[in-house]
Amino acid sequence: MIRSSIPLLVAALFAATTVLGDEFASIAHEIPPGYEPQPERDEQGLWSEMEDLELGINKSALLLRSGDLVDYVNTIVCRVAGPYCGDLRVYVIRNPHFNASMAPNGMMQIWTGLIVRAGSTDEIAAVVGHEIAHYTRLHSLERLRAVKNSMNAGLIFDIALAAATGVDTPVGQLTAMLGALAFNRDQETEADLLGTKIMAAADYDPHASYVLWERILAEEQAAVAKGNRPAGFISTHPPSEKRAARLRQVVADHYGPSSLGPEADQALLDVLNGNYLMLMEDQLDTNRYGRTLEILERHAKMGVDPGLVSFFYGETYRQRGADGDQELAMAAYRESIQGGTAPPEAYKNLGYLLLKRDDRAAASEAFTKYLELAPDASDRAMIEFYLEDLS
Amino acid sequence: MNIRRLLLVPATALTLSGCLASYTLVASGINTVDDLTVVADPGWNLAPKVAGSGDRRNSQTWTRDGELLNSLVLIPAVPDGESLITSRDRSAALPVFRADMLPNEIEELAESTFVKLFGEGNAVFDTSNLRPHSFGEQRGFLFDVEASVTESPDYKGIVGAFIANDKLYFMYYFAADPYYYAKDLAAAEAIIKSAALAAPEESG
Repeated sequence: MIRSSIPLLVAALFAATTVLGDEFASIAHEIPPGYEPQPERDEQGLWSEMEDLELGINKSALLLRSGDLVDYVNTIVCRVAGPYCGDLRVYVIRNPHFNASMAPNGMMQIWTGLIVRAGSTDEIAAVVGHEIAHYTRLHSLERLRAVKNSMNAGLIFDIALAAATGVDTPVGQLTAMLGALAFNRDQETEADLLGTKIMAAADYDPHASYVLWERILAEEQAAVAKGNRPAGFISTHPPSEKRAARLRQVVADHYGPSSLGPEADQALLDVLNGNYLMLMEDQLDTNRYGRTLEILERHAKMGVDPGLVSFFYGETYRQRGADGDQELAMAAYRESIQGGTAPPEAYKNLGYLLLKRDDRAAASEAFTKYLELAPDASDRAMIEFYLEDLS
Repeated sequence: MNIRRLLLVPATALTLSGCLASYTLVASGINTVDDLTVVADPGWNLAPKVAGSGDRRNSQTWTRDGELLNSLVLIPAVPDGESLITSRDRSAALPVFRADMLPNEIEELAESTFVKLFGEGNAVFDTSNLRPHSFGEQRGFLFDVEASVTESPDYKGIVGAFIANDKLYFMYYFAADPYYYAKDLAAAEAIIKSAALAAPEESG
């Protein structure tokens, strides 16, 4: 019975792949650059809601308004968007979770947690392409109309906004609102295909599309095993082996071999190295050590500044405080210091660990070095208190 | 869990119970919270205790203008292995106190706890000016906190903490900035700095 069904299964898979290949060849943007909402009441209402939310995001204290990180993201978005670049407004939000979203009025959000988790600029371009595809194929409006057929559209907004009152942020409101209009499986497939197509057209490596999903899938499976729930983008874009395999097949059929290696490209490395303390301190504050260690392991392979990566290994082990973590943390701080790019805090926190072990001379030496490197440190009084105690 | 929810839960519960006047005036002078004492100046109100708000059972929240505007929170006797706030969400990953923590680690514990209190991703916190302070006979420390919160005013605060008998005593003042933070900072700081272990009751 099983044997007799194998040819059928192969035929079905072949047919599915062929259909997907045809869809990939034909899929295109549905709106022209410079698109404005049509006179229909529902589309006007949708844009109006999003414009209100955008006003809130513009005032958000967590919005990164300038700097190399913002320039880096804007460059990727414009390159992938091509002629649609002028229709999009990109907001880089300081948030350690993996997320990106696209509102139907051209408001795109990229959370810093995406930058922290990407293995290459191409992977970020894959997410950006996916989101732009949702926008240019009017997926939100399509969903609104589909839902409207089954219930009152005004109620949809009410439900979304009611859900949002417990979330308390425009980002949360947007998430809740778009959650109420969650894209269906066909739309996700379309966004995967068109997103891959436009990122490849912008000369990014399309292999990054499935590499990203495979990476996220692995991270989520590991995190869930440790008791963490999927968050942000993952909760609305569930990664699956099928999804990654489908993209892998499409890319293999239409493009050459991958140019991606274990090391990240210089543009991503520059932006990570330049913002590493902020990005990883925000990640560390989530108190999710399993995820943080996975990210650090990845960064080490990608070629992020080893001194900085080691410092955060030290921070993570020290804060986790499990058996043996003090030793691991001290070794990591020392490695960071040997690397020559350790922040002054590596000496300070090594000093505190040495203090715990009553290695007074070494603790004093580390604290002295910290103050030498950071003479204006705001915790100078605390360190001087310990130095006096140690002497 | 986030700050809006923390405030909505008590408000909703109070409304449903019809018990709207449950803030009580804090007596000026020495106040005892579990085995922690502080010296209060007049004008503080003890916020009602509501299940599900994330407060530890033996903690107290005082306010002058409402908890969203200014809060003085006194958390006594947190044992080793426990967190500064509570949550029913098993995936909340609350940071926990360890009795061997040094000031830098308590500072990090505070930062991570505040992140959970405001909701992950809704705020970022920076601490600074860690400095020694004696709370009665106990060695402790103070530090300052600043929060950038999405769609909300910024918050500023001051934290005082000490460890005694392997338990953490943690006091903080948090207020909207500008105006409210500065308005009551001196009074709140004086209360935090006055914190000390209550003298053990004499037996016999």
